[in-house]
Amino acid sequence: MKTVEKVVNPVKRAGEQSPGKIYNENLKVRARREWRGVKDTFYDYTRWLYLIFVLARFIVVPRNIKGFFRYRWMMSYLFVPHGMDKFTIGLRDEALRIAHTSFNFVIADVTQAIANCFRGDRRVGNDKAYSGKCVITDENSMVTFMMGFDTDKVHTILREVPTMFASNIFHQFNVMHYLDIAQQYGIPGDVCPMPEAEAGISIEDDFCVLGCCAVQNNTTCDGSLMGNGIIAKRLEREYGIPTYQLATPLRHKEPDVLEYAAQEIKNAIEFVEKHTGEKWNWDTYFTAARRVNDATRCRIAQMEINSTPYPQFFGAAFSLYNDTNYMGNSGRNADFVTIDHKLLALAQKGYENKRMYAKEYRHRAIVWGVQPQYVIDMLYWMVQCWGVMPLTDMLSVINTDMIAEVDTPENREQAYRDMAMLNMEMIMRNHTHGGFKVLVDDLWELCEQMNADIVMMWEHMSCKALTGMHGQFEEQARARGIHIMWVSHDLCDPRVFTRQAIRDQVNSYMRTVMREEPLDPSLEIIPDNEAY
Amino acid sequence: MSKIAKIPLILLGAVLGFFVVTFTIYFFNLDMKATALLAPFLEKWYDRMEHNQYI
Repeated sequence: MKTVEKVVNPVKRAGEQSPGKIYNENLKVRARREWRGVKDTFYDYTRWLYLIFVLARFIVVPRNIKGFFRYRWMMSYLFVPHGMDKFTIGLRDEALRIAHTSFNFVIADVTQAIANCFRGDRRVGNDKAYSGKCVITDENSMVTFMMGFDTDKVHTILREVPTMFASNIFHQFNVMHYLDIAQQYGIPGDVCPMPEAEAGISIEDDFCVLGCCAVQNNTTCDGSLMGNGIIAKRLEREYGIPTYQLATPLRHKEPDVLEYAAQEIKNAIEFVEKHTGEKWNWDTYFTAARRVNDATRCRIAQMEINSTPYPQFFGAAFSLYNDTNYMGNSGRNADFVTIDHKLLALAQKGYENKRMYAKEYRHRAIVWGVQPQYVIDMLYWMVQCWGVMPLTDMLSVINTDMIAEVDTPENREQAYRDMAMLNMEMIMRNHTHGGFKVLVDDLWELCEQMNADIVMMWEHMSCKALTGMHGQFEEQARARGIHIMWVSHDLCDPRVFTRQAIRDQVNSYMRTVMREEPLDPSLEIIPDNEAY
Repeated sequence: MSKIAKIPLILLGAVLGFFVVTFTIYFFNLDMKATALLAPFLEKWYDRMEHNQYI
C-alpha cells in the first residue's frame, strides 16, 4: 500500500491541548469556548464580537423581526456563533484567521441574502418595486446567466441558501421538520434529503415569496428534478412567478453539447431581460469575468499549497467559501476579490512558517463524494483526532480554465460558451455527472498530484449516482494501493446517521485497518449528537 | 480632579467593563446557552402557526 512521510509539528500548540473537553452531553451547545492562548483567544473573541454585530445589525430592522417570527428556518440564525465554532476546532495562528476571514464573510453575505429576501417578500417587507427587479435562482445553480446584469438594477435571490443549505449547517435539526412534511405528502424517504427538504419547505409554504421571475436548473439528480417540479408548480400557479427551466447537459466533457448549452444560457438571459425589463451589459459581464478568473487563479494557488507537506486552507471553510464565491457570486461582487487575496496571503504566510493544524500529519487524504451538512466540522476533527490531513474535497475541485475577459466581438460569442461551461461544470455537477472520467479517473489523478495515500469516501446513502460506483472505487483503489475509507451519512438528516455514528466509521477504520491510536483521545467520542 | 481629566478614566472604565462582560459571555458560551434555552419556546411558536400546505 502507498505510504506518505509523517510530518511532526515541532511547535506545541498554544492554550489547551484537548478541545474534546469543551463538549458536555447535558448541553445542546458547547460548555465553553476553547482556550487558544492569549493572542488567539483574543482574536477569536474579536471575531465573535464582529459576528454579534452582523447579527444585531440585521435583527434591528423591523421587517427582519417580522420575518424571524414567520419562518421556522430562521431559528438557525440564532445559532450562527455556535456554527462558527464548528469551523475553528483546535485552530491557531493563520489557520484560525483563514477560517474566520472566509466564513465570517460567507455569514455576512448570507445575512444580506436573508435581508434581501425579507425586503421583497410579499408577507414581510413587500417592497414591490424591489421585488419587481428580483430573479429567484436555484440554490445549486451557477448564476453565470446573471453576470451581465448590473447588480444595482437586477437582484439575484438564492432563497434556498439561507432557508435550507446554511440553516442545516448552523442547526442540525432544522430541516427535519420539512423532511417530515415532504414525506407526509408521499415523497419517499430515500430521496436525497436536500431537494426533499426544499420540496418540504415549498409544501409548507415556508419560502419567501418575491421576484418577477425565477430560473431553475436540472441540477444533478432525480431528487433535484422532483424538488424543482414541486417548487416551480407553486411559484407559477399560486404566486404567478414565471419560472424558466435552464436545461443543462450532464455529459459536460462531450464537446458537441457546448453549443446547445450556450443557447440555453442565451435563452435564460432573454427570459430575465423580458421579465425585469433590464438589458444585458457587456461591460458588467467582462468585469465579472475578470473577477471569476482572479478567483480561479487564487483557488489554484491554494490547491498548490495544499499539495505541499504544509496545507493551509481546506475543509468546510474552503469548500463553502468556494461554493459561495464560484457559484453564488460568479464575479458579480467585487468584495470577494479582496477576500480571495487576503486568504491567499494568509495561506502563503502559514506555508512559509510551516504552520500545522495538528501535532502530526500521518496521512494525506483526498475527500471524495458529498459531505453531510450537519457534521460540517468533520474534516477538522479528522486531522485533530487522527492526523489525517484532508488535502481537498470533491466539491472544491472545479474549473481551472480561464474564460474570455476582454470585450471583443469574438469574445461576446465565446462568453456564452464560457458561461455554459461554468454552468455545466458547477460544483454539484462537475464530478457526479459527466461520466466515469470525472468521477473515478479524476480521483486517482488527484491522489497522484497531491500525494495522497487515503481516499475518504463520503457515501451519501441517498445519492444513487455515487453509491452505484462503490465497487469500481473499491477495485481501483486496491489496484493502486490507496486506502479507501467509506463513511456513510444521509446529508441533512441526523436521525439516519448521528454525528458520532459518522465519526465512528473513521475511528473503526483507523483502529482496525491502520492499527493506529488517536492523536487526541479526547476527540474520539464527542457527546454532540443532541447538540444543535 | 477636573471633569475633563476624568473623561479618559471614565472611557477606560467603560471599555474595561465592556470587555469583562462580553468576554465572560464569549468564553463561557453564555450567548449560545441562553439561545438553547429559548429554542424550545420558539419551536412551539412555529408549531402553532397555520400553514397553507399544498403540493
